[in-house]
Amino acid sequence: MIDLNAYLGPFAFRHLRYATADGLLRLMDRAKIEQALVSSAAAITYRNAHAGNEEVAAETAKHRGRLLPCAVLNPAYAGWRDDLAICHEEFGMRAVRLYPRWHQYRLTDPECVALVQAAAARGWLITIPVRVEDRRQQSWLVDIPNVDYDEIAALLRRCPEAKFALLNGSGYTSSLLGRANNGLPPNYLIDIALLTAEMANEIGQLVRNLGEERVVFGTGIPFHYPEPAVVKLEILDVPAEVKRRIASGNARRLLGL
Amino acid sequence: MAISRRALLAAPAAAAAASTHSWPAGVKVIDAHSHLAHHAHPRWAEDDRALIDAADRLGIAQLACSILPAERAATPDVFRQCNDWVADGMRRFPGRILGYAFVNPGFVREAAAEVRRCVEERGFIGVKLYNTYFADEPVLDPLAELCIELRVPLLHHAGHTSWLSPPQPRISDGGHLSALAARYPELMLICAHICGGGDWEWQIKALRRAPSVYLDLAGSVADEGVVEMAARILGADRLLFACDLSMTASVGRIRGAELPEADKRKILGQNFARILARRGTR
Repeated sequence: MIDLNAYLGPFAFRHLRYATADGLLRLMDRAKIEQALVSSAAAITYRNAHAGNEEVAAETAKHRGRLLPCAVLNPAYAGWRDDLAICHEEFGMRAVRLYPRWHQYRLTDPECVALVQAAAARGWLITIPVRVEDRRQQSWLVDIPNVDYDEIAALLRRCPEAKFALLNGSGYTSSLLGRANNGLPPNYLIDIALLTAEMANEIGQLVRNLGEERVVFGTGIPFHYPEPAVVKLEILDVPAEVKRRIASGNARRLLGL
Repeated sequence: MAISRRALLAAPAAAAAASTHSWPAGVKVIDAHSHLAHHAHPRWAEDDRALIDAADRLGIAQLACSILPAERAATPDVFRQCNDWVADGMRRFPGRILGYAFVNPGFVREAAAEVRRCVEERGFIGVKLYNTYFADEPVLDPLAELCIELRVPLLHHAGHTSWLSPPQPRISDGGHLSALAARYPELMLICAHICGGGDWEWQIKALRRAPSVYLDLAGSVADEGVVEMAARILGADRLLFACDLSMTASVGRIRGAELPEADKRKILGQNFARILARRGTR
């Protein structure tokens, strides 16, 4: 399995028990996850997010076969173009995470669109965590809403040449993003971390509505246990070949592995 | 419909046989917090069937269910209707559904009568309360005393947030439940869904000094470490496996939790079976 939704380093508002490379690898081994796309959890609240990229580059240096470093870039902060170049050319990163609510910009702001276009020009994957934590458990210091699905849809339209992965979301089938024939460019995949495989079975609905090549494995480790996503994949009522694509094939294609 | 103690405690063979999920050997898994669908929903029968199908696939033998109305400050007619539907579910899925009687404690006499009707005449196993009142308000006292008399658990909706929660201005947290437990230490009080949204670290710490309060582990939040922290601070004897309809998240948390198998067995079913065995009526 390849996990598109993994993190390293401390998070400002909750102790993460497996925040180091060794810790993350232990969780991955336990859940039989071969590779993970990892970004800095600290960069979510750092003013200068690039300091988190430097930490992740160093922490993953000895584990590049399994931990694929992912940048966190803030288009509202000085020097993101330089940071993008460093992350690509020095750190070997090939993906970026955007936190528009935590970093206080909109996905359709010109600088964000410019960042997405610049990352896409380098062949990068753009990942957007819809949320970091459940909003109801947030610290008294912050009140950060989920990223709005209409705002994501607007960015998908503005940047049809880019490829996106939407992480830590749910309820897509009640929005444009999860509907069949929705008129959006097919340039995005959705991770299963917070989706259901039982009862309403949103994963199954998305496979039907968008196609099996548009759903991808993700866990949210070490914020989350990896096992819930594994269980979802296990009980998902689809052919084995579709499970394999969700588990790893789609991520391999996205990341060029 | 009354359920015999033997039927209540027997492991439905069909669930174990159909399961694609492996649990520690010999454990009968009970979901201590679930819901059947409200019959105003046009697909309620299919939704109930889907719940049982999911339980089959995940190796969950029994589900303790209530039905909550849209209007949470329910009148007696409304909560009686919900409980009638639960009784119907117990008939449709024999041996799989355990009933919680949902009532509004503000209707003191009617709520007590409904709990007696459900527990003594229809084999319900407990009482479910939502957020009409804080758990430590005196209006709950008659129901707490009745649960003690009938020897059934009281499952109370709960959550703690640092932000005001306008839709739930009287949601109880571990502090409210601890206060109720201090007044009634013999009450089998269950704090609902630690993973249902809210500051779970706060909740666990708030319950540390309330040793009679159980904690159900249900909810959609998959945060790593929650089960281990609850076991470390409260002890595995006070933890109950539960899903509150978030079934894969809840199963995955227990599977991933770094606890001894003996503790997982307690959490998955033995603790709740012990609660059920104390029931005063059969």
